[in-house]
Amino acid sequence: MEEPPCREEEEGEEDGDEAGPEGALGKSPLQLSAEDVYDISYVLGRELMALGSDPRVTQLQFKVVRVLEMLETLVIQGGLTAEALRMERDSLRKEVEGLRRQGQPASPEVNLGPDKMVVDLTDPNRPRFTLQELRDVLQERNTLKSQLLVVQEELQCYKRWVSTVRRAQDLHVGGPEFNPQHHMHRQEQCPWYSPTLPPPSLK
Amino acid sequence: MRSSLTPLGPPVSRDRIITCFPKWYTPEACLQLKEHFHGQVSVACQRRNTGTVGLRLSKVVVLGDLYVGKTSLIHRFCKNAFDRDYKATIGVDFEIERFEIAGIPYSLQIWDTAGQEKFKCIASAYYRGAQVIITAFDLSDMQTLEHTRQWLEDALRENEPGSCFVFLVGTKKDLLSGAACEQVEAEAVRLAKEMQAEYWSVSAKTGENVKAFFSRVASLAFEQSVLQDLERRSSARLQVGDGDLISAYRWNGGKSNRDPGEQEGLHPGLLLAGTCHSSLHFP
Repeated sequence: MEEPPCREEEEGEEDGDEAGPEGALGKSPLQLSAEDVYDISYVLGRELMALGSDPRVTQLQFKVVRVLEMLETLVIQGGLTAEALRMERDSLRKEVEGLRRQGQPASPEVNLGPDKMVVDLTDPNRPRFTLQELRDVLQERNTLKSQLLVVQEELQCYKRWVSTVRRAQDLHVGGPEFNPQHHMHRQEQCPWYSPTLPPPSLK
Repeated sequence: MRSSLTPLGPPVSRDRIITCFPKWYTPEACLQLKEHFHGQVSVACQRRNTGTVGLRLSKVVVLGDLYVGKTSLIHRFCKNAFDRDYKATIGVDFEIERFEIAGIPYSLQIWDTAGQEKFKCIASAYYRGAQVIITAFDLSDMQTLEHTRQWLEDALRENEPGSCFVFLVGTKKDLLSGAACEQVEAEAVRLAKEMQAEYWSVSAKTGENVKAFFSRVASLAFEQSVLQDLERRSSARLQVGDGDLISAYRWNGGKSNRDPGEQEGLHPGLLLAGTCHSSLHFP
């Protein structure tokens, strides 16, 4: 208590150093550290000592020491609370920074408005094609599908026609040369194929 | 010449041949209660006097919420198959189904649309020029029934008023017990009347009513096409002498002129019609 221990705290030190132990008395009460309390105790002790050994001075000295002890407790307590708060503040600050870094791509979304969407360019399944492109692809698919259906039907007709002609040829084996014109009535089954002409799609 | 009277068009499979006018599902909500083809239509068919009807593709659009089973319904009919796994339709798809109705070839182009909201802007471009609008809902999900009203409104907006047959179809009939189904049907029939639609309950999984339903669709559309064709030709005949009108009739003979997409040659309807047409000059 008599000797101010070496100061570890940096805050408010310059004043204390320049002004000596008396400087502590000039400080704002909110800035006081335990060391300042020891400085004050040193100053007060020195002055009380200068007053001599009057018993009233001794009485007063006890009370002053008691008050200083109370002050010391309050200052230390306040310091600890401040330190705890500072640590909490720092950890929260770190957390905020972390969240900010994580949510970086999402943060502009807030500014986009309700009708906008953010696309993750690293997502292989991200939307890429336009509505018009889908329309075009579907249109092309539909066209191809209808062409396929036409060709399938033509093929079916062609196969029927071939088997009809074969059957007719089998009947005419050994007889006069087969004339497909005699079998024109087969058109009833497949009207757009003339036996003498290829199907339209083969032309 | 006999050959000029033969039906034109690709061969039709046996189970697509319709000779008797198919019946409704329930008389409470049906578009027509008659049991036979329209007299004029029967006569025109017997005389093979159906103009270009046999060469045309009539457009059918199927709409409704996602996962009600629009694609499954179409697949059951066109491919006689059912896929248990759900695969969302992207934008639109179509199938072409050939019929022979009262001896005349007739084709439906059935457009399958995506139920997902995000594809609505694409699919809605295909609503135009529909002769039949099929709004589908899931019998086990009442919300999808409520939404059919909106789907129909969207489709009607793209078409001339009164030009479309409307059907309301409850799907997944196999998921409901008889009693539960009746309960939903009562509600659906009420809505169908409001929509001036014909009601059907079907199951793509079991195939129940699927063929009957599409036969009904095809026959109603066919009859309307024939009647329209007869009317158009009789009004054109009244003005014989006006060369412009006759050629105008010839080129407006197809429904395709109602849809600008077809005129651009991008529409499959024109592609197929074009192919068939070229065959006319062939033999």
